[in-house]
Amino acid sequence: MKNDFRPRFERHQHLVAPIFLIAVLLLVAMVRAPQLFTIDGIGGAIIVVTPLILATLALTPIVLVGRGGVDLSVGPLLGFINVGLVKWLVETGHASPITVVAYIVSAGVLYQVLIATIIIYVRISPIIVTLSGYLVLSGVNLVILDRPSGVAPEWMQSWGSGTSILSPVFFILIAMVTFWFVFSRTSFYQQILLTGANERMAFANGVNTVAARFGAHVVAGLFTATAALTYTALIGSGDPTQGNTYTLAAITALVLGGTSLAGGSGGGLGSILGAICIYLISYILSTYNFGTVAGFVTQMSTGVILVVSLLVNNLMNRRVRAL
Amino acid sequence: MSDAKDKVLARGICKRFDETIALRDCSLEINPGEVHAIVGENGSGKSTLAKVFSGVVLPDSGTVSIFGETPRNPMHARALGVATIFQEVLVAETLPVVDNIFAGTDDLWNRSRTRAEARDQSRNLLKQFTGTEINPDTLVQNLPLSVQQWIVIVRGMLASPRLLILDESSAALDLDATGRLHVEIRKRRDAGCCVVIVTHRIAELIHVADRATVLRDGAVVGELVGVNINESNLLGMMSAKHVTLKDKAKPPPATEHPASDVLLSARDISVGSSARPFDFYLHAGEVVGATGLDGQGQVDFLHAVAGLHPPFTGSISVAGHDDVPKPVRDPSEAAANGIAYISGDRAHDGIFPNLSIFENFALPFYRSTFGEFGWIDPRPLERAFAKEIQRLSIKVGRASNGITSLSGGNQQKVLIGRVLAASPNIFILDDPARGVDVRTKRELYAHLKEFAERGGAVVYLSSEIEEFFDFADRVLVFRNMTLFRTVLSANFSEHALLAAMFGDLQPSISPSKMQGAIVT
Repeated sequence: MKNDFRPRFERHQHLVAPIFLIAVLLLVAMVRAPQLFTIDGIGGAIIVVTPLILATLALTPIVLVGRGGVDLSVGPLLGFINVGLVKWLVETGHASPITVVAYIVSAGVLYQVLIATIIIYVRISPIIVTLSGYLVLSGVNLVILDRPSGVAPEWMQSWGSGTSILSPVFFILIAMVTFWFVFSRTSFYQQILLTGANERMAFANGVNTVAARFGAHVVAGLFTATAALTYTALIGSGDPTQGNTYTLAAITALVLGGTSLAGGSGGGLGSILGAICIYLISYILSTYNFGTVAGFVTQMSTGVILVVSLLVNNLMNRRVRAL
Repeated sequence: MSDAKDKVLARGICKRFDETIALRDCSLEINPGEVHAIVGENGSGKSTLAKVFSGVVLPDSGTVSIFGETPRNPMHARALGVATIFQEVLVAETLPVVDNIFAGTDDLWNRSRTRAEARDQSRNLLKQFTGTEINPDTLVQNLPLSVQQWIVIVRGMLASPRLLILDESSAALDLDATGRLHVEIRKRRDAGCCVVIVTHRIAELIHVADRATVLRDGAVVGELVGVNINESNLLGMMSAKHVTLKDKAKPPPATEHPASDVLLSARDISVGSSARPFDFYLHAGEVVGATGLDGQGQVDFLHAVAGLHPPFTGSISVAGHDDVPKPVRDPSEAAANGIAYISGDRAHDGIFPNLSIFENFALPFYRSTFGEFGWIDPRPLERAFAKEIQRLSIKVGRASNGITSLSGGNQQKVLIGRVLAASPNIFILDDPARGVDVRTKRELYAHLKEFAERGGAVVYLSSEIEEFFDFADRVLVFRNMTLFRTVLSANFSEHALLAAMFGDLQPSISPSKMQGAIVT
């Protein structure tokens, strides 16, 4: 029995640190801000954390597929979908749910296919390609909408109020998380992991590594699209710059969740837990009065927690190998 | 051409990598139900030829026909029934065993079997091949290299291939495991499968091959069938210099080493936790071999003597100038005391793959040749480089070419040249001839012998028993993480060494002298 348990624990060992961290943060929150545990508190929390969870899930397949895969442009892409939605659909009166969904999905997926094509066929390093994407989209967003303005589609306006747990955003989150877990049980996901863990091995054994890489980006596009939708619900308007902050937050959440930036190890559950950690850290710190430097204190604390959790992970890895 | 439908054919294959011509006009035919060996020196192009069949390398010209079709890429080759077990142990370390075994069996959307089936099959197959129970969920990074090698082999066998290619697949296996692999190879052959093996182990090849194609400098120089596959024929065809078996018939060296010439002494060392400690003394002019089955402590012993990992207990020291023994506890102390270490695992422990041949050679000497203001004076280095190149007859293009442009054997020679140029007293080599062709191997050992005759001492590890004959003065056989028996050159025979490796008690030895005793 023990022999059967150990290997399974090894595979999910990267989740220990984020789970422990969440438990500690929830305890602190219970003391500092018990209002988090009311219906309003949970409802609000879900609305705030959902875009981050989805953005982190968007990054996950791209990182898992390896070769230094990462998407720095996930934040500006989220912003781009948001300002495009407000400027092109709402202002021209084409904001029916169907056109909105068609727009966000095609924008997200097309962008990712473009990025994937450059990475795979031009063979430029993903970090450079997506950094360029970050810069270009940051500019484009400001050209589309020069300052925060506009409104979300009419049918979405009540989504951001967070007065009940079972908000539409909650159902989107549940749907996308379910989608992730179905996706992670497909052989397609397996091909992504194999490609990320050892690309030469995967290629030599007949795994279609190019398709796996493209597929990872397409899935990322879907998750970025829904992240942008819930982000629009959260702010209820268009904002050309605020989306950019999601890049760093999502990468931090991903690493905190135990996914290796080298590819091939980690997974979606870790990303979800990591995103919840990031949210709880900033939530708890907001209960202290740091005045104008509050944002920096949050960043600093996140950085420290990230380093500590990586250290813990590393130590546990050595322990397991030594056994 | 109904004939071509059951056969694997190559016609006029040419392939060049930058300046190196890997294959020139190679033609060969592989029949079903035959084990076909591809043999040749290092850099003769045999691995490239194997890669052409598996679709990993596309030839510049010529045609390949696998049962009537030409493979376009590894995926296509796989679909044609080709399974290749590559020279490197290609595994995804961060994934579980089961995912590694079944890599490539699923396509993008459809699984070939359920997870539960895959787990069961993985458990059964590994049990069948390795003889031990291995949990399919174990991460591959937590398994020893020999099991990782089996994972790669099982992966290849799993596809029930019509063409099975084994490229040096037994490199990480011990004798026992190699035997099990041979049984499996014959089983496949008898089932009508085309089997191609690429190997340096001549004994293995004579044992298992039905037909052998010999390559030299990228061209086919001949084919041997059945009983004609023997050592003298193979060596004759492989080597342009016509190394013959005459070289082998040198009288065994019977040197007596007075105790005063001890260069290195290891007292009461144990190389495993709670393993029995032993003493080891290395004399000037001595060549000592070390061997054993997989993981019996011989590697740990070698690492301890080379200062890479200190032994569990005991101490290792080198004779100093003024009779003060100098301890060897880490690699820098070892280097300072004239101990040089070379690993057979060039890719990990030897070369700097991004640097040129010359830089790979000269890097350790940069410091000692520092001229004024820390400028490196290249002239003495270039002289030393030219000398070693000539001495070891290394085939290089321009010295500024990348080290990876050389074949494995030539890379190893550059590394040995690097160490020789530092004029050490003691040479420690971990399987120095791994992936090195026969002629180079002989030259290599001749150089080491010469080194010992000039007053140095050599300790080397090898998994191939033949490599000790005519060369080592004594062989230390390890078993259960300790020195089991020392065999002197006068008693060398395959049987004596094998018996010691498998823990056989020699009847001629009295029980009291048995453990670690010298066979006289």
